[in-house]
Amino acid sequence: MAYTLMGHPKYQVTSGQVLIDGESILGLTPDKRAKKGLFLAFQYPVSVQGVSMFSFLRAAYNNSRPPGTEPPTIFEFKEVVAEKLKMLSMDESFLNRYLNEGFSGGEKKRAEILQMALMQPKFAVLDETDSGLDIDALRIVAEGINKVSGPETGTLLITHYQRILKYVKPQFVHVLFQGRVIESGGEDLSRLLEEKGYTWIKGYKEEEQLAQQGA
Amino acid sequence: MTQTTMSSFDEDLVRAISSSLNEPEWLEKARREAFREFVSSPPEKNPLYTKYASTFDFPIEPFRMVPGRSEVDFRSYFKGFLTGNESDIMLQANETQVHVDLSKDIASKGVKLMSFHDALHEDEALLRKLVEQRLVKSEADKYAAFVNAFFNSGTFIHVPKGVVLERPLRRMLLLDSPRTAVVDQTLVYAEEQSKLIFLEELYSKGPAGPALVASTSEIRSGTGAHVDFSSIQLLDDQTTHVSNRAIETVNDSKATVSSLVLGSSVSRSRMNFLLNGRGCFAEGYEIFFTDANQRYDFETNLVHVGQDTTGSVHARGVLKGESQSIFKGMIKITNAARNSRSYLAHHAMILDRTAKSNAVPSLDIDNNEVKATHSASVAQIDEEQLFYMMARGLPQDEAKKMVVLGFFEPVLSRIPIEQTREGARFMIEGKWQGAKRRLVDRETLLAATGEITPEVKQTEDIFERHYKYR
Repeated sequence: MAYTLMGHPKYQVTSGQVLIDGESILGLTPDKRAKKGLFLAFQYPVSVQGVSMFSFLRAAYNNSRPPGTEPPTIFEFKEVVAEKLKMLSMDESFLNRYLNEGFSGGEKKRAEILQMALMQPKFAVLDETDSGLDIDALRIVAEGINKVSGPETGTLLITHYQRILKYVKPQFVHVLFQGRVIESGGEDLSRLLEEKGYTWIKGYKEEEQLAQQGA
Repeated sequence: MTQTTMSSFDEDLVRAISSSLNEPEWLEKARREAFREFVSSPPEKNPLYTKYASTFDFPIEPFRMVPGRSEVDFRSYFKGFLTGNESDIMLQANETQVHVDLSKDIASKGVKLMSFHDALHEDEALLRKLVEQRLVKSEADKYAAFVNAFFNSGTFIHVPKGVVLERPLRRMLLLDSPRTAVVDQTLVYAEEQSKLIFLEELYSKGPAGPALVASTSEIRSGTGAHVDFSSIQLLDDQTTHVSNRAIETVNDSKATVSSLVLGSSVSRSRMNFLLNGRGCFAEGYEIFFTDANQRYDFETNLVHVGQDTTGSVHARGVLKGESQSIFKGMIKITNAARNSRSYLAHHAMILDRTAKSNAVPSLDIDNNEVKATHSASVAQIDEEQLFYMMARGLPQDEAKKMVVLGFFEPVLSRIPIEQTREGARFMIEGKWQGAKRRLVDRETLLAATGEITPEVKQTEDIFERHYKYR
């Protein structure tokens, strides 16, 4: 679903719509979608040998800045990125490495949140950002998500587990089953799910269906 | 290319060139011996590579030798190619006209930078010794024999014992006439404990039309000496370029060769690293970026003879359009070269379906106490990388450019000469945009780009990284 939203060439949308501010983005290439304010934190960030983190972040930053504004100089950008690094407890040596190349799982996910922090998107889709993280990395990444999300940035966090929700407090929880939202609620819903498991929700949904058919 | 079509390149021409350059008899004799090898050799001698030879062959008949051309005014001839701040440079206009500018502090140490024939008149005994003990043998390759028989120009560099040069010496060849053949020999002799950086640049002035640049280069790095050599080839797309290089390292010496090939129609390069002494190092960095109908054929051999020697070759290239490349790499470790380490890698990226790249890496090892690694790959641009970068707002063209320029980096960033490293980035980016850029100094580079992006340093040990030796 996350890839489809971002416009991965392998996925074709056969029905339905994706709208940002009422406008369909389905005909747009991924870069145009990003410029509309959509951001995807990859489950498996791709590594690119030979492209430094610094150059890439700078290119991403320059492409996300509002039209008509001057791009920052190399020194100005260094300051911008240093501040975000600090926020995510990341070392500056990150910038002198090739993009995601040889990064540990935690480093990759933190680098995704760093990019989110720099680009300040309107809508961020975090695709299983909590997978493959140890306890400390999970906490740092989650804190990062909290700092970057806010009234300007809506975050859609896709997860299979409750554990990240210890740190990230969702406003809404939706349960997606076989491509459909089958239940929505507040934070309580995730707690209930954790206690009772997905089979519970599947079970009572089926009962509801039967009841409807009977009526 | 057979003997019957060799009307213009015959033994009479060998004599004519030799006498027009006032050469001693021994040199004319050496030329005639090379000529016989040239006539009798097939274009490709190694049976491993013959099946690829036809794609990279070229006719030699259209080129002619013009000895004794009228003098050129260097200032106007090289206008636009020099900033005016150059020193320690040898300028060569076509095949014979040479101008040398060597600063006093360097010259006073006994350093020589001059044409082959000036050196011949100054120190015939030394030149005779170097020619008679040639590292680029006529028997090894038809085009090596061609140069040894027909060379009409050349460069001689001599760094005496213990002299350490911090600033590079440069040689710039600028070609402006169609149908000419620049056939040159470069002899570099760095004595014991000396240090030399040597930059070679080959350019064409405007559209030069069909021309030939054929050269041999011999680099001798004496005991404990260190030579960094770089060669940049941006010849006109109608010029054929053939080069044969041999780099000899002896006890505790080091030599590196960085080569950037962007120009010429057909380019054939052979490079032999001869690790003859104990504990010596040799490194080759070979980068190419071809488009249109360019052909690049390069062979690189690491020949370990001495004990405890370390050799590595990193080759990387990107091919566009209908261009083609072949890499022929060989690691040869003799029985005597115990405890040697050798690394050979070739990676190519194909940007169009019509482009083609081949690699033939081989090992010939006569010794168990060695570490040797070879690898080769040819791949297309990775769509997942493009998607990832586009998802961050980079338009497709910008993402592609980053991936392609980044592809060169793992080799580019290892080039030990700063000016070549930064210049090569600038030139490759130029070629990506369809602009011909030349090697520039840092000041000019800063003025053109506004900034120099921080580099990612390569620190990993290539010999330890391989899975076999972890």
